[in-house]
Amino acid sequence: MPILTPQADSPPDTLKVAARPAQIAREYGPFDGCSAVHGVTHDGDHVWAAVGEKLIAIDPDSGQVARTLDHSGDAGTAFDGKHLYQIAESRIDKIDPANGRVLLSIPAPGKGSDSGMAWADGSLWVGQYRERKIHQVDPETGRVLRTIESNRFVTGVTWVEGELWHGTWEGDESELRRIDPHSGDVKERLRMPPGTGISGLESDRADLFYCGGGGSGKLRAVKRPRA
Amino acid sequence: MDSLIAASARALAAGDALNALKRISLRDDPPALALRGIAMAQLGELPRSRELLRRAARAFGRHEELSRARCVVAEAEVALAMRDLGGAPRTLSAAVASLEAHADHANALHAHLVGARRHLLLGQLDKAADALQALDGRALPHPLRAIAELVSAELALRSLHTADARAALARAQAAAERAGVPALVAEIAEARGSLDRPAARRVDSTGETPLRLDEVEALFDAGTLVLDACRHGLRAGTRWVPLARRPILFSLARALADAWPGDVPRDALIEHAFRTRRPDETHRARLRVEIGRLRKLVAPMARIDATSRGFALTPLSGRPLAVLVPPIDGEQASLQALLADGAAWSTSALALALDTSQRTVQRALAELEAAGRVRAIGRARAQRWLAPPLAGFTTILLLPSSLPLA
Repeated sequence: MPILTPQADSPPDTLKVAARPAQIAREYGPFDGCSAVHGVTHDGDHVWAAVGEKLIAIDPDSGQVARTLDHSGDAGTAFDGKHLYQIAESRIDKIDPANGRVLLSIPAPGKGSDSGMAWADGSLWVGQYRERKIHQVDPETGRVLRTIESNRFVTGVTWVEGELWHGTWEGDESELRRIDPHSGDVKERLRMPPGTGISGLESDRADLFYCGGGGSGKLRAVKRPRA
Repeated sequence: MDSLIAASARALAAGDALNALKRISLRDDPPALALRGIAMAQLGELPRSRELLRRAARAFGRHEELSRARCVVAEAEVALAMRDLGGAPRTLSAAVASLEAHADHANALHAHLVGARRHLLLGQLDKAADALQALDGRALPHPLRAIAELVSAELALRSLHTADARAALARAQAAAERAGVPALVAEIAEARGSLDRPAARRVDSTGETPLRLDEVEALFDAGTLVLDACRHGLRAGTRWVPLARRPILFSLARALADAWPGDVPRDALIEHAFRTRRPDETHRARLRVEIGRLRKLVAPMARIDATSRGFALTPLSGRPLAVLVPPIDGEQASLQALLADGAAWSTSALALALDTSQRTVQRALAELEAAGRVRAIGRARAQRWLAPPLAGFTTILLLPSSLPLA
């Protein structure tokens, strides 16, 4: 029996950046038969959410589920402009959104301890939850190209206009954080209301972030701050 | 939450404990430990489950109070299934407070029920009733509703309100069927079945009649004066004179009731109560004292008159009298009948009530314990004996289905 190393609490926040309250623009769900939202992405028209048993595409205007793919999704979801990438158990599946076919499977860098995922610049960016890391991964082979350290549990990753954002969620506290992709330094913080967690994160390439709400089964749109 | 934890929780919620384990069996981070603990509980590996849940609770970080509280509740339920009732209930109440504070109502309700069942197992019927009352009017998910009704049925049965118990069991069954947990449905069916089996025998001059619990209740409700040789006392309607801890008075009452409407000669009473065939004046004096005591106790329900030969018991207002004995003969039946009041008995109190030696009682208890029909709590002098609950509370509900993490 391995002796358990107690899970250290996060290092105290010595961040120079003060947190601002996140502005929630809209809430969607919970959706029929879905108990949790594990991953979120955006294909330009619809918001895709991994809800355990399946992937659903939500029309952001009506809030209705427009499409459903029978593919299990346990964590992050990403879109490269053509394909969906979905973390299921300890692998990443590349999926044709037209028919739900799996075109390729690569191992997930955290071997199953993976949480959020984003696509940017030809790479997948995969959050490793309790290890508080973000890996840059080759989407063809699964090779880890580089690793960024955070000081909070990572639960969702997205790139928007050259900015790297990730969600954090520890206990009651959840934030959206913009970090320096090279140093990992925190540049900006948006604090979610207490008890509102973030599991899965994606920007709509405009003014909104879409955040999965974990076990609440909700999807929330949060306003993106503009400099 | 990460991908394998989510996948494992998904398998667990679907009742597939093995597949849930497969995904996380080699991981030792706190969410994995918690899920492994729950999966082990579902597989019946209770000691292992408990160890895992403890480790998980310890390992969750300061920020993860909610996850920790859920582990505490799960562990308390496993302890309950193991009949290990030594744990500190304060830990459980702290967990409840934490769950309520985090608006995790489903798990808070679950924790309340674990508390109520614990009181029931400890023979703290008042506390169990209080805990149940706290849930009144709250919307419970079906499996929890079924459990709450089982607890409520048990409480009703302990106080011999068979109609209430039947109604509660019917509600429990409906909830269990809606919850779709076959083991729970089976358990409730078993509890309902016990209501239709003989619970006692009525003895009178015409012979013996087996009675179901509701027939016993009807006998009490009819206002009949009942010499209850199951729970050792006299009952008339709602009046109850317990004699379990006063064996001489009970044996006198029993002899008088057996002879009703006739009387019993003094020497026969002395032989019966004091176990001697050669009565002398001191025995007669003692008999007068004991009869005086008994007369005072039963005054609200019966008279004890001196006759030319001895004494006679006469119910007040022309009521009939009946003698009720355990459904089967022997020490074990009497022990079980005494324990049926749901209270925690010491060996010496049981020996006193049955007017027999502690050694005999210990032997009978050991046999009953081996057959799973009584339970002991505590050790040595603090040891107490309890009847198992009428509803067994198997481990089927070791699925805090709402539990799995954030």
